[in-house]
Amino acid sequence: MRQCLSAIVIPVILTVGADMARGQTQGNQAVPRDADGKPDFSGIWQAVNTAAWDIQAHHAQKGVPAGMGVVEGNEIPYLPSALAKKRANYQNRVTADPETKCYLPGVPRLMYMPYPFQIFQTPKLVTMLFEYVHATRSIYTDGTAHPPGHIDWWMGDSRGKWEGDTLVIDSIHFNEETWFDRAGNFHSEQLHLVERFSLLDADHINYEVTVEDPKVFSRPWRMSMILYRHKEKDLQLLEYECYAFDNEFHPPVPQ
Amino acid sequence: MVRPSVGAGIALVLTSTIIVAAAARIAAQGPPPPKNPPPPGWIDPRNPPKEDPNFKPSRTPDGQPNIEGQWVQASDIITYSIEDPEAERAEHVALGGQRPMIGRPIIDPPDGKIPYQPWALKFAAFLHEQHLKPSKPEYLDPVSRGFQEGLPRINYQGAFHIQQFPNTVLITYDYHHSYRVIPLDNRPHLPANVKLWMGDSRGRWENNTLVIDVANNNDQTWLDIVGAFHSDALHLVERWSITAPDHIVYIVTVEDPRVYTQPWKLRVDYRRQPVDEQWESAVWEGNRTADVVLGGGRR
Repeated sequence: MRQCLSAIVIPVILTVGADMARGQTQGNQAVPRDADGKPDFSGIWQAVNTAAWDIQAHHAQKGVPAGMGVVEGNEIPYLPSALAKKRANYQNRVTADPETKCYLPGVPRLMYMPYPFQIFQTPKLVTMLFEYVHATRSIYTDGTAHPPGHIDWWMGDSRGKWEGDTLVIDSIHFNEETWFDRAGNFHSEQLHLVERFSLLDADHINYEVTVEDPKVFSRPWRMSMILYRHKEKDLQLLEYECYAFDNEFHPPVPQ
Repeated sequence: MVRPSVGAGIALVLTSTIIVAAAARIAAQGPPPPKNPPPPGWIDPRNPPKEDPNFKPSRTPDGQPNIEGQWVQASDIITYSIEDPEAERAEHVALGGQRPMIGRPIIDPPDGKIPYQPWALKFAAFLHEQHLKPSKPEYLDPVSRGFQEGLPRINYQGAFHIQQFPNTVLITYDYHHSYRVIPLDNRPHLPANVKLWMGDSRGRWENNTLVIDVANNNDQTWLDIVGAFHSDALHLVERWSITAPDHIVYIVTVEDPRVYTQPWKLRVDYRRQPVDEQWESAVWEGNRTADVVLGGGRR
């Protein structure tokens, strides 16, 4: 009986294994590609996590969903003085968070806020359009370098290149006004990001970002998460014009 | 990237012809000629050159007439006033030393004025009176407050890029990182209760003309700085016609049965330019206009 059972079970396992292998192959083949054969990220995407509240692991508070965090190793290597500022930011977050003033949220924060964004891809330019304050990113993949600077931009300057099937985006020229989340995690104008976009299958992007800022952190550190494709029929970006809801809303202009 | 509002690559040859033709037309119809000289290559929206009916545009790989690239208006239209830009802006030009802009974009009705209903004419006059020293924030030009332009105003604000994809046209504007995603797949408009600053666009090609139906507009945008307004019944039909290799004629029919007595039309001509990178145009983040105009630490 036992022998009979294993005789039945083993072929089943082999079949399942073969199916899984075939499934992966089909999955890879199913990754959409552009005319140049590069993975095609065109579509509407959104992160499904709680990094917008806190990029580190956290339990729930009123109005704050719990989350496992997106920081690899969960530690952010702040320099000592910067850690004090992060703690002060957290204490003062209700008024100090730049999101409360409806400023452009910067990168990578905008990539995981709870609003959809849309990617249009051509060989020389990847355009990202965001529902939140109709922000945009133009990512030049034409081999050009960052313009000379320093330039204080809210969304930075992004230049992309392909490493195999991974789109690697290098960004500098940020200002020091934006945060990473609602928990007060911050950076300086020396922020340098390397983002890596790769398709796991047609509907999932593995998104990783390496954060470097020698004024604030003792070493580079990394976040990673999945971006999910919206598949609802006829879905389109709408608008979240954050600053236009209240006629008396006049937060201070950054100095 | 900030660019001059009148592009390079302008058809200098046409200038003298246009001026002569414009003078003849003005003499016949009565509106006063521009007091200030037109810029080189100006295309008068109210007296444009004839189009070549046999022009065949190049095509995108999926067969759309190719309108990709960077476009800048050749009509010398300013968002300050679409009814009477020269007179309205005379004071600002004198103070600031800017070049006067003379394009009058309203081509129908022929007097170049918005055909307001009687009550709306009064309200437009009130907003006009308020616009320099508004008594409430909502009587200040919404763009001066840092809000999105809406349509059709964004189309005479500055340069923009068009990218074409199968079933979609994408317009990204230099000013305020505004964008429009225009589906060409015959999907219906959003439910009527959904209102948007930039409206809801649905496009289709009719020969060499991209026809875009724009609904779901909110009632918060103005058509110029001096208070030309509409309600959220605003409905637009835009016709973007490529009439020469680097020339788009844009004619929009503006309809709002709650505010206007009849549909009216506005025209802008665009020239295609070499494509520049679009650099950040943050507007809300550094805007002090509301502070200056409304006064007293409002921002």
